[in-house]
Amino acid sequence: MTAAFAKLKSHFVNWRAWELNPIVIKELRQAVRSWAVTGMLLLFLIVLFIASLIFLVTQSFDASPNMQLGGIMFSVFVVILAGASVFFIPLYVGVRVAVERQENNPDLLYVTTLSPARIIRGKFLCGAYVALLFFSACMPFMAFTNLLRGVDLPTVFYILFYLFVAVCAANMIAIFLACIPASRPFKILFAIAGFFASFWIVIPLIALSLEFMRSGVGAMMSGRDFWIGTLTALAIIAAITGLFFVLSVALISPPSANRGLPVRIYMTVIWLLGGLLAFGWVAQTGETQRILVWTYSTFIMMMFSLIVTISNSDQLSLRIRRRIPRSPLKRPFAFFFFNGAAGGLLWVGGILAATCFLTNVITRAFPRTAYPPITASGGNVWFITTAAYAFAYTLTALFIHRKFLSRRSPRLAGLLAVLLAAAWAVAPSIVLFFLNQLSWESVSGLQLGNIFNFFSLRNNDQRIDHEWFACIWLLVMILVNARWFLRQVEQFRPPEKQLEQSIIVPQ
Amino acid sequence: MKVQVKNLRKEFGKTVAVDDISFSFDSGHVFGFVGPNGAGKTTTMRIISTIEEATAGDVMLNGVSVCEEPELARRAVGYVPDTLPAHADITVHEYLDFFARAYGLRGKKRTQAIDAIEEFTNVTGIREKHLKALSKGMKQRVTLGRALIHDPDVLVLDEPAAGLDPRARVELRELLVLLAERKKAILISSHILTELTEICNGVVIIERGKILETGTIDEVLKKSAPRRTVAVRLLDGQNVQVLKELLQTPFVGNARDVAGEIHFELTGDESAACDILGALVAKKYKVVEFRQTKANLEDIFMNVTKGGVQ
Repeated sequence: MTAAFAKLKSHFVNWRAWELNPIVIKELRQAVRSWAVTGMLLLFLIVLFIASLIFLVTQSFDASPNMQLGGIMFSVFVVILAGASVFFIPLYVGVRVAVERQENNPDLLYVTTLSPARIIRGKFLCGAYVALLFFSACMPFMAFTNLLRGVDLPTVFYILFYLFVAVCAANMIAIFLACIPASRPFKILFAIAGFFASFWIVIPLIALSLEFMRSGVGAMMSGRDFWIGTLTALAIIAAITGLFFVLSVALISPPSANRGLPVRIYMTVIWLLGGLLAFGWVAQTGETQRILVWTYSTFIMMMFSLIVTISNSDQLSLRIRRRIPRSPLKRPFAFFFFNGAAGGLLWVGGILAATCFLTNVITRAFPRTAYPPITASGGNVWFITTAAYAFAYTLTALFIHRKFLSRRSPRLAGLLAVLLAAAWAVAPSIVLFFLNQLSWESVSGLQLGNIFNFFSLRNNDQRIDHEWFACIWLLVMILVNARWFLRQVEQFRPPEKQLEQSIIVPQ
Repeated sequence: MKVQVKNLRKEFGKTVAVDDISFSFDSGHVFGFVGPNGAGKTTTMRIISTIEEATAGDVMLNGVSVCEEPELARRAVGYVPDTLPAHADITVHEYLDFFARAYGLRGKKRTQAIDAIEEFTNVTGIREKHLKALSKGMKQRVTLGRALIHDPDVLVLDEPAAGLDPRARVELRELLVLLAERKKAILISSHILTELTEICNGVVIIERGKILETGTIDEVLKKSAPRRTVAVRLLDGQNVQVLKELLQTPFVGNARDVAGEIHFELTGDESAACDILGALVAKKYKVVEFRQTKANLEDIFMNVTKGGVQ
């Protein structure tokens, strides 16, 4: 702790020696020379200029002056800016990272002593600077609209600010997609998917901007709710950006690194903070369903984590094992957070159980808008059933991988879990569809083991059947994997002293 | 700096690219890494440079494992890949400057390092040129400069001479000799074996992911070519007579006429060669030249490899 503090202190004392992230310098040098950025910026300026000209010229022919012209022009500028920045900048940043990460063209940046976190931070900052370039170009046009009436300056700057934050978050997601170790065709697919997914960002952003213009941010700024809402939105965007940051860092870290640790710590922290934030909202408004935003997002996050977790190798590298605490008190905590499928399963299980428990406690503690507790029979059995199914599928996949495909990559276990769930969801439906004279009704009946079938059922008893089946299947799989799990716990220990000393760290 | 490759294995699906290979080399050594295409040279070099992960085994750089501590190992390795830099919109100087920053060089130290490397690799005159506008030879120099910018102890060069013109090759050879004198441990792969013979102290011959021969050049030559070839040039067309005599001489085999010279293989030692020369002179044959032709790396390579790929 003292060493870390001394390091931090010396960092700030020697502020004159601070240098910009090398990636930022290189990327910006390349960006300002690239035809893509300069061309896009010129096009953007031309479009803004022509749009302004059209508005002003048409207005000059109008006998009665439009007192809302500034507002109309501003909304057009928002559409142009949001479109250009959300579609173009993340695509530019993502493609640059993807090209560098191609297997047949190893960018030697990844064999330098730059840490993975610095590389991702550099790429992110470069995206932010490019976004800043576009926003700076747009800002005079937007500020000018204030003189034409229909929009106040706080609204202009507020919309610009949160558009900028959204573009930064989109950049981070693009970097994450580009870091995924996939072949070129898959990366092209990711880019196409990312392009279409951008509409999900652009359309609500534009709608929100228009709503702010209508209400006027200047008028709302004095209200407490406005700031609470703004800060909550900012915190959520920051949490999402941070999540994709740690995931990207993990993806480009060496395989021998403890990649699970920062990701699991970060996710646990945002889970806790998110829970506190949601609880704050429930306490403030008395509306218990607000806690469900946290519950659902945690559930989705943990389902993805489950697939990634079982794709971890059972063998911990020597480098990770050296970091395992020798203290028997600290070691169980490390087991939860370090690389490895067994610890990861416990971590996911722990977070899901705590989420379920806390959601129930909070929904019961605030009876004013008595929302049915999440596990109430016939109400939200889905949480337990779906979680049990997810664990059952992943444990089955782990077992199959260990027994029959142990020589193949551990990533196959994650893929297998998804394929098992998908196959069991699709195959029986197809068989039933054809066996029952092409009737869709037969398909919508009870299909135990089909994780998706649960949501299509209306009969509560059948849902309970699903719950029982999922829990029994999970129990069987826990027993089947028990020996493997215990072995993992047993092997989770630091290396013997002799082995550790054989590693010589260079001066 | 000691580089130890220990039981290295790399699998790509069912293909075993590198199959349990081990060798080592030290500071000041230039080690040639030769083998047919697809033998596993590039894969091995990529593992040493921490770009690729080994399936089994390890590479130790003065005790630092490249598999366990790649970040530490990277400080000690400079890697020149078989592909040339394809960075767009960046000049030679900016490229070197970026890598100097990436390796943590700061302020004056960075400026000095870049200037020294630009001078050493002779790219000072083209420092403001864009990378894309450079010729292959110039790009190769820039790549070498980039690999040297952090003054690594180990240099791994994958086909650095491929596609270079004769002058550039000679210059590259001279640079490598200079680097070896500066106590760098150099591993170089090349298909131009005659050049490797001139600059390498040791060699590893690899095929289908397995090592066929390894050791110093002399050791490998001795091991793989135990017979010495002797060339004799005579005056006045006495070749036919001498050939007949040689074929009856002990320790001599495969005597033949090669472009007016007699070549034969001698299984005996140097005194046996002296005896043969003495006998020829005693029989009044007019010997103009009597020399031993050393087998070179190319001969050994052709003898030990079968040209197979996996």
